[in-house]
Amino acid sequence: MPYPLKNQPADLRESMYFPEIIRGFGDLARHFFKNLFFSRDRNPDVLARKRGGFGYSDNVTLQYPEERAPYPPGYRGLHRLVPREDGRPRCVACYMCATACPAQCIYIEAGEYADDPIEKYPVKFVIDEMRCIVCGFCVEACPKDAIRMDSGEHTPPSYERAAQIWDQKRLLRGPSVSYQYDPWLRRGSPSISPEKLEEMRARAKPFPSVATDEASQTPGFSVRALAQEARERAEAAKR
Amino acid sequence: MNRFVGMLLFFAGVVAGLIALSAGFYWVAGWLGWGFNALANAISGTPGVVSPGAISFGASVANIVTLLLVLVMTSGALLTTAERKWSAMMQNRIGANRIKVFGSALGGVPFLAADALKMLTKESVEPRGRTRLLYQLAPALAFAPVFALFAIVPVGMDLDPSQIPGLASRIASGVVQPIGLQIARLDAGLLYLFAISSLAVYGTSLAGWASNNKLALLGGVRASSQMISYEVSLGLSLVGSMIAYRSLQLNEIVVAQGQSVFGGIPAVGILLQPVGFLVFFASAFAETKRAPFDLPEGESEIVGYFIEYSGMKFGLMFLAEFVEVAVLSGILTAVFLGGWHPYLFEGWLQANLSPFWFAAVGAGAFIFKMTLMMWLQFTVRWLLPRFRFDQIQKLCWKILLPAALVNVFVTALVLLLDPSMQLLAVVGAVTIVAIAAITVAVGRAPAPEAGHGAAHVVAGH
Repeated sequence: MPYPLKNQPADLRESMYFPEIIRGFGDLARHFFKNLFFSRDRNPDVLARKRGGFGYSDNVTLQYPEERAPYPPGYRGLHRLVPREDGRPRCVACYMCATACPAQCIYIEAGEYADDPIEKYPVKFVIDEMRCIVCGFCVEACPKDAIRMDSGEHTPPSYERAAQIWDQKRLLRGPSVSYQYDPWLRRGSPSISPEKLEEMRARAKPFPSVATDEASQTPGFSVRALAQEARERAEAAKR
Repeated sequence: MNRFVGMLLFFAGVVAGLIALSAGFYWVAGWLGWGFNALANAISGTPGVVSPGAISFGASVANIVTLLLVLVMTSGALLTTAERKWSAMMQNRIGANRIKVFGSALGGVPFLAADALKMLTKESVEPRGRTRLLYQLAPALAFAPVFALFAIVPVGMDLDPSQIPGLASRIASGVVQPIGLQIARLDAGLLYLFAISSLAVYGTSLAGWASNNKLALLGGVRASSQMISYEVSLGLSLVGSMIAYRSLQLNEIVVAQGQSVFGGIPAVGILLQPVGFLVFFASAFAETKRAPFDLPEGESEIVGYFIEYSGMKFGLMFLAEFVEVAVLSGILTAVFLGGWHPYLFEGWLQANLSPFWFAAVGAGAFIFKMTLMMWLQFTVRWLLPRFRFDQIQKLCWKILLPAALVNVFVTALVLLLDPSMQLLAVVGAVTIVAIAAITVAVGRAPAPEAGHGAAHVVAGH
């Protein structure tokens, strides 16, 4: 809301200057001494930091590379290829994401498993993160929930352009996911041992209806993961 | 809480350090005086003679080194760091902390070395069409007068050289003139201050003119008009103190502030001359060319009179500003804050400490007050936005100058009525109380009426 300022000549208080100067001086001095005598809260979980109360300075600064605020839950971060429990990507190389991508930053080369006559897999899955416009269409297009942007971090900076071209080796990471309708779970796969298959079937979730379903989010991975990591790092440093 | 205790200890350490530093100053002055005496004896072939002239000459040389190069130069350099860290604290930021020595930012002090290295190694670019001699001369002209100003500031009280450790067996008490932490004891005193402080404007206006740049010229013109205007109120604001303490010499003014009025209340300058203090503070601020009076270098409009200077030439002009802050804080302290009088437990300290250590405590108190004044100037600098040029001239000619004039006449009249300064103290106290009362009573801006804002939101504003 715009602050209504009346167009009128300065009143006595304003034209005298010094009462307001002295008052403002007191304000600055209060901040100065508070920040001088009290340190800021160094809680690695930056969202839980205390500020301004007795014993803490009014400082809000995050020392960025060392301290980071976790991104909110819906944040579209760096892509990842979601792995299955056996370490292979869930991706079946259907080219839906590459087709949907408005920036045309996804390059896929499909291949077939030697031991599986039906399933395809990506031989190459490359994302040019410099071309990516972070729209998230690939995540929505994917029928297998194989590509996600839930890593909770942005693309890290690099000195070379080549380092911004992420291949499958770097993209395939994070917690693995299985759904009850996954074809390799329903009919079995020659490459998965029967015991492993049973375990994967037991852990499989019902297929999510929308991408923002609870089942499609990986709890503990995206939201406070960085805070947790920072806390662990601090613990490790203490030890 | 750790930091709280740490800061308290740190401040205790700082105070102890200042006292130790002052003791060092006295010690150096005494021993260099003795060294010059020995030198004079060696030249004239008269061993064992104590010549007062040689001793006071040596003490003056020592004071030039210790006060100018150590005290003023160090405070000027530290102020560049303080500018960043103090402003950060006032604005809830952290401030410069990226240079770390063994993992600690050390309060940003290592940035001094980084700045100096950068300034010294930077290429010195000179514009085509400059006036070479004046262009080269201007940084020195801006820097030297400011430095020379500190020559009359009495940092410490007079001390008989025989009281200095190690000299008692060499110099008999009372034979030689006492040495003080003051470079030159001029009878002209404050007149020297006015003369030299007006010289500083030559540096800035010549820098603006010689760089062959319209923006620099504008800066130089602004600097000269602003500083010449404020010179008047700067001078008049100190006339009240001259009348009250009946001296032009800063050391005598400080000594006079040790008297007490109404038994016990010290006749400190800020009590006797509150208006003089305010006017001098504002005028001194304008002399330093720092915000809110930083029109000569308004970064957002004209870049300033030093726009064409680079490298250490710029550094010198930049440093001159900070040194000027330190020097004017010293003068403020001497004239209005009682100089080297510690005031707190002064009688007890005098009775229980040796004269050497009492003098050291006094000089430490002076440096402490000086630091406080520098902090005050920095706080005001971060409090107020830049004035417009007509506002600056209006403030000078319509507010500060009449206030200073009235102050001179009132002070003279009051001292005519009551030469013992008691009436003056009463008038000063009434003024202070009036200022405080106005500050408290003339309240905040009236809060907008309830419901008013909501109506605006509904109406779609």
